[in-house]
Amino acid sequence: MDAFVLLGSFLGLMIIGMPVAYALGLSALIGAWWIDIPFDAIMISIAAGVNKFSLLAIPFFVLAGAIMAEGGMSRRLVAFASVLVGFVRGGLALVNILASTFFGAISGSSMADTASIGSVLIPEMEKKGYPRDFATAVTVSGSVQAILIPPSHNAVIYSLAAGGSVSIAALFLAGVLPGLLLGLTLAVMCLFIARKRDFPKGKRIPMKEALLICVDALWGLMTMVIILGGILSGIFTATESAAIAVIWAFFVTMCIYRDYKWNELPKLVHRTVKTLAIVMILIGFAASFGYIMTLMQIPQQITGLFTSISDNKYAVLMMINVLLLVLGTLMDMAPLILIMTPILLPVVTSIGVDPVHFGMIMMVNLGMGLITPPVGGVLFVGAAVAKLPIERVVKALYPFFGALLLVLMAVTYIPALSLWLPAALLK
Amino acid sequence: MKNNILRLTDILYLACIWISGASIFVMSLIIPWGIFTRYVLGTGSQWPEPISILLMVVFTFFGAAAAYRAGAHIAVAMVTERLPAGPKRLMAGLVDVLMLSVAVFMTVYGSKLCMETWGQNIGEIPWMPVGATYLPVPLGGFITLIFILEHMVLGYQGQRDVVTFDHEKIEGGAL
Repeated sequence: MDAFVLLGSFLGLMIIGMPVAYALGLSALIGAWWIDIPFDAIMISIAAGVNKFSLLAIPFFVLAGAIMAEGGMSRRLVAFASVLVGFVRGGLALVNILASTFFGAISGSSMADTASIGSVLIPEMEKKGYPRDFATAVTVSGSVQAILIPPSHNAVIYSLAAGGSVSIAALFLAGVLPGLLLGLTLAVMCLFIARKRDFPKGKRIPMKEALLICVDALWGLMTMVIILGGILSGIFTATESAAIAVIWAFFVTMCIYRDYKWNELPKLVHRTVKTLAIVMILIGFAASFGYIMTLMQIPQQITGLFTSISDNKYAVLMMINVLLLVLGTLMDMAPLILIMTPILLPVVTSIGVDPVHFGMIMMVNLGMGLITPPVGGVLFVGAAVAKLPIERVVKALYPFFGALLLVLMAVTYIPALSLWLPAALLK
Repeated sequence: MKNNILRLTDILYLACIWISGASIFVMSLIIPWGIFTRYVLGTGSQWPEPISILLMVVFTFFGAAAAYRAGAHIAVAMVTERLPAGPKRLMAGLVDVLMLSVAVFMTVYGSKLCMETWGQNIGEIPWMPVGATYLPVPLGGFITLIFILEHMVLGYQGQRDVVTFDHEKIEGGAL
């Protein structure tokens, strides 16, 4: 009954269209009233939820990514990718995917990836003879790499939602191989499609020009070296490395690239404040929701429910995948990480799944949710950039969904994909 | 009358954006300063960490208030947008009232938390009462309350120039 009051009121509030963050807060209050917990305790849990040093990494990573994305980074990453893979048949599709891989290394945002890489490459691909819906589908599905490849602010959110017990450094490293596998799978598929539909070959870029392009892009790609190098060597904490990344991003875009005008900075700040504050307050209210959930022992009940259906690890993981995929099509990533992690983590740890591995399973699932209708933020942005109806992009995305499902299965059932790198590098 | 109110809420909106923006700016300077003092000066300042956390709380609650006015919060519109106009209005009204209750909770219980913890001090910066670090919660809650009332009386203001001056690029680009 307790669970019904808490989860039911949350669901009801969401359905009538209340913003998710406030719906979490209000249903926590309803739950507290139901089990006779004073409202002061809810206030304390909200305040404690946003009062954490590790939380600071989120605004910093997002800001660094936003500065780079708007400061001309995507154009340079596209040029860099063209040098490396542009000359094969279907080259621009590969350039698109590889540019997203690089973009993932400076930002964890699929939406920023789609918006900035898409606006450079979708028109370019169409000009060279690729269908516009195919170009959009490549951009949208390739952008899911940004969530996996470090730095990923969603990994930081997961670490927080898991109670801070999962190391951010381990999560960052765990994302590298699944991210690259995703890129590779998409690239192989694009090569096949390119041959079948006879997409054009690109030109090889002359050596001297290629060198200049590489140097130009390396300034931006240094961001990841700073972040991972700092964390792995133990010089910085994750939060500190994120702050350094902001300074570095600012330095590179304003002093080296100089595409961005100083008088446009207020717009950047305005956009960033709006998009970031909603995630931060979501984290605060989700903390109060999680607090009531724990008091009601909902995670234990859900674990019992899952294990009563099956105690087979693979079957439980499959059920969780289906659940996350369905939820992901309906809702955004950050709220789902915050709500579902405290519920599902006890389930998977009870059947012996590593929390870092589960983090990656969640990232791939919810990343797919971003590009599937009815609610898919990245899909919407992609369609808007390409000026195409959403249905047409979805139709072009069908083969890409297949590729993503393949990657999801690999990440779910081959734990080493996620766990090998952190085990090898973090002693 | 209406225009005067809107002018005031515009100023309040911009104040929230600038307070949040300044917080994130200062945050991203003092954390590296902390690293600098640790490795270069060898003194290891204690204050950057608690001050950044305070600024993050400021950023979160003022920014979220502004984001409410801009209509930027994540909500599920799948059900409501398929409803006919009448029930749709009813739902929107209901959401306003419920939002109001959360904003009142933030203001009242946030203030209570501040007052109860005002006597305690933060270890690293003795002059700072713990209650002060929670102040953004009731303040942000109160500003949200004003924006909700504005929404109830004067309707949605997310299309105003002060809110949309950054719109030529794709919205939501940062996340």
